Amino acid sequence: MVGADAGALALAQVVISGLLLGAVYALLAIGLNLIFGVMRVINIAHGELLMLGSYATFWLFTLWGVNPIVSLVLVLPAMFLLGALLQRTLVDRVVGQPLLISLLLTFGLSSFLIGVALNLWTANYRSVPAFSGSIVVGGLALSISRVIAFVVALAITLAVWYFLRTTRLGKAVRATSQNTEVALVCGIDVARIRLLAFGLGTAMAGAAGSLLAVIYTVYPEMGRTFLMKAFAIIVLGGLGSFGGAFVGALALGVAEALAAFAWNTQIAEAVAYAIFIGVLFVRPSGLFGVRE
Amino acid sequence: MAIKGDRRVAVVGLLAAGAILVGLPYVANAYVVTLVFLLLMWVTLASSWNLLSGYTGYVSFGHAGFFGVGAYTAAVLITAHRWEWWLGCLAAGLACVVLALILGWPALRLRGPYFAIALLGLSEVGRIVATVWEPVTRGGLGISLPPTGDLLADYYVMLLLAVLATALVYVIATSKTGLRLLAIREDETAAEVVGVPTTRYKLLAFTLSALFPGLAGGLYAWHTSYIDPATVFSVTISVRTIASAMFGGAGTVFGPVLGAVLLNLMAEVLWVRFPYLHPVLFGGLIMLIVLAMPGGVMAMLQKRGLLPRSRQL
Amino acid sequence: MGGRDGLSRRDFLRLAAGAGGVVAIAGCGQSAAQTGRGSQPAAGQPAPAAGQSGGAASSAPIKVGASISTTGSNARTGLYQQEAYLLWEKQINARGGLLGRPVQMIIRDDQSDPSTGQKLYEQLITDDKVDLILGPYSSGVTQAVATVAEKYRYPMLAAGASASDLWSRGDRKYLFGVYSIAESYFTGVVEIAQKEGYRTIAVVSEDTLFPKSTANGTVKLAQDKGLQVVVQEQYPQKVADVSSLIQKVKAANAEVLVGGSYLPDALLLTRQAKDLDYNPKLLAFSVGAAMPDFGESLGKDADYVFGPSMWEPELNTPGNQEFVRAYMEMFNREPDYHSAAGYSACQVLEAAVNAVGALDNQRIRDWLSSAEMETVLPGKYKVDANGMMIGHDAITVQWQGPNKVIVWPAKYAQGTYKLPTPAWSQRT
Repeated sequence: MVGADAGALALAQVVISGLLLGAVYALLAIGLNLIFGVMRVINIAHGELLMLGSYATFWLFTLWGVNPIVSLVLVLPAMFLLGALLQRTLVDRVVGQPLLISLLLTFGLSSFLIGVALNLWTANYRSVPAFSGSIVVGGLALSISRVIAFVVALAITLAVWYFLRTTRLGKAVRATSQNTEVALVCGIDVARIRLLAFGLGTAMAGAAGSLLAVIYTVYPEMGRTFLMKAFAIIVLGGLGSFGGAFVGALALGVAEALAAFAWNTQIAEAVAYAIFIGVLFVRPSGLFGVRE
Repeated sequence: MAIKGDRRVAVVGLLAAGAILVGLPYVANAYVVTLVFLLLMWVTLASSWNLLSGYTGYVSFGHAGFFGVGAYTAAVLITAHRWEWWLGCLAAGLACVVLALILGWPALRLRGPYFAIALLGLSEVGRIVATVWEPVTRGGLGISLPPTGDLLADYYVMLLLAVLATALVYVIATSKTGLRLLAIREDETAAEVVGVPTTRYKLLAFTLSALFPGLAGGLYAWHTSYIDPATVFSVTISVRTIASAMFGGAGTVFGPVLGAVLLNLMAEVLWVRFPYLHPVLFGGLIMLIVLAMPGGVMAMLQKRGLLPRSRQL
Repeated sequence: MGGRDGLSRRDFLRLAAGAGGVVAIAGCGQSAAQTGRGSQPAAGQPAPAAGQSGGAASSAPIKVGASISTTGSNARTGLYQQEAYLLWEKQINARGGLLGRPVQMIIRDDQSDPSTGQKLYEQLITDDKVDLILGPYSSGVTQAVATVAEKYRYPMLAAGASASDLWSRGDRKYLFGVYSIAESYFTGVVEIAQKEGYRTIAVVSEDTLFPKSTANGTVKLAQDKGLQVVVQEQYPQKVADVSSLIQKVKAANAEVLVGGSYLPDALLLTRQAKDLDYNPKLLAFSVGAAMPDFGESLGKDADYVFGPSMWEPELNTPGNQEFVRAYMEMFNREPDYHSAAGYSACQVLEAAVNAVGALDNQRIRDWLSSAEMETVLPGKYKVDANGMMIGHDAITVQWQGPNKVIVWPAKYAQGTYKLPTPAWSQRT
């Protein structure tokens, strides 16, 4: 049924498809990671922040015909501010408290945001068909929307990486992730860093949402599925590791695509879970993890 | 611990509650009985969750997984193999115990957030298995069970489960075992150092805590006569369990009972009145609980001296 | 912590009393023990008090209960069905009501969730004490709800369900179909495919009740007509990515792609087929492709797609034009076949109650079991011994230009189909 050449081509196509998507996943996972790294808070509402980004892009496109990529110019800062606001009013209160507290708080937030979206925008499925179709490169049909999403996601990831690596503020963020007390002693305004980290993480989630809106359908509960994937990625790459999250994201994208192709789509759903349970049971701190 | 006078109040209160619950089906209509049936189910879930997560500190986000396994075990045995319903439920509980023993070993080696997420993942894997393993579970078609016909029997059995689960928590909490579990919660390494066999105790708590959702799941399947993977393995079940326990006060015996009843009653009222606002209100409620009363209603009442302090470190 | 939520002992007692009060008030009415364990009255007797709004009070409204998926994955489609119920309520009250009494519809949101629907119907019957019920949307929810209907012996017209599984067990006495079963949906499409000489077909579906049933039926139809099923696969509900699946179908060179789907996945599959340059000669989807939303969301990409439909506005069935007009007036948009099915169920229910002359669930049930009548749906209402619909004529539409055209069967066709589907790159 599947000839050798056609088979190789199809396989290549599947892998590339997965890679392209993986970059967008990376945005989400890196943001989640950042928040955890700096505050030790697992943000269950992260998926909903993605959803808000998706809706922002959707409305900008539908009401004013704003190109989704251009919409990022508005979405990124807006989501950053939202993140900072959420951090200041809600999240900051549970930093340092037992895990259950922050898990539940963010879960409550997640439910709340879904409810808000349901009421404001209804449960209807939306889409942003800004780029459809494919470009054919050497026999491979690459989905245009995915290629664009990939490029933009990569750009944002690199920008954040550069920020964390080279700028003073970025280094302060990393220092706080490594050891909050020492960072304080060094004179870093840890409270400000937390604000920055949550804002940045939210902005990245929003960006991921904007890009995903171009590829998938947008609806209030969309965040949950992607959150699961983000967890899988973080466990794969290690809680707290930037590079790990990126590589893990690409790996998950490819693994899912291959699993769906080789077996079936239902199994693909399980891949994310199989990976993270498997990895956790064998190496509890992830592949590149920072040992707790 | 408790002062004599308060103890008497507590006992009287319990007896009164018991009398109301036992007599309910004779004074209330089917809708109310079904509602209380479900509240008792949440009490069972919350109490059993409390046994593990409230007392050992290993927060499980996978309670729904055991519930689902229980529901499916019972459903398959009852439909495909024509077992008696109560036998199916017992088997469901047993299946979960075995599963907990197998999974507990690797899972309980994980700490903090990893454990929470891993259990969540396992619960989702359960859902996917139920969806994909079609020859046995009929996948997305779901399983239709023969109609129960006997609301009263179902109700009393669920009442029994709720009582047993809570009683178990009470027995353990007031025993040395409970003290050891609390020690694990506060500082596992230190506990090991003073000679607490942590692995054994964690596994014990994990297994016992898995028994009840298994039984409850089986009973739920029998009572509702139709289950499908998405419903019985839903993450919402896990979260509502946790919210119930926390609302009442995780780590106390009656906290989860109180929380399960209050929270789910409120959810029911809210949901009937405001179907669209429900997630907003529910989410807001959870956030409020976490921020304003993280110790739950119990802690709040205890602070005001209304209830005796329980064993809390 | 906060300390701002000061609950004094008095407040606490008030709270407890209040909670107790709520339960007590809710408990007014027949106790569960009295109503009987699951209500099993002797055969031949009418269902317990809940089934008869006792008394001759002629202006007390007749309550009709239902749950509809107005939120959740089937929200969009569920809404169409709900609107039909509301339209009927308005119209019947304008005509003087049912049996001389006004009709009051009580519709609740089941969130596209089977167990929620089940709880709601239990509530409607035992707490709201509705006199009649109508079915919810989707086979999955109907499957769960049917157990409640059977338990309380309330006949229910399954206005939003079609999986044969609902009736194939043979032990359901109170469930009645409204339109063709899922397994037969793609009869027209497969016939057309065979006529055009296509040999290979891929059948994909969501892994829930209705889509699975549709897929299973389609595979059988295809095999009977000599087509080779090269891919048969399921994807999870709320799937986000079907690109690997499309790749697989493409690699298998399937000339026909049939999707047992709802709306969101039909859209996703079409979009991703385009994104991955998969060019089947024939593309068909259930539910989604027959809804106006399909064309609205996809624009030109919807062209050439086939969809099994249970009804279209252009049909000349009795009362159809009036129905379409009234619907548009009330809701400002065109009905789709889910609306028509909902409306048809109401028509049948009305006829049943009028024929029986009383709110007697048993006699209504018996009437529904043996009746034959025409409604806005093509064909007629007629069920077999198990309650499964056999009189309905399903049709198939194809998107051509901005509209859907009925292309099959010949009896209802209003245009001819256009095949083969041109490649994506060849369309502007």
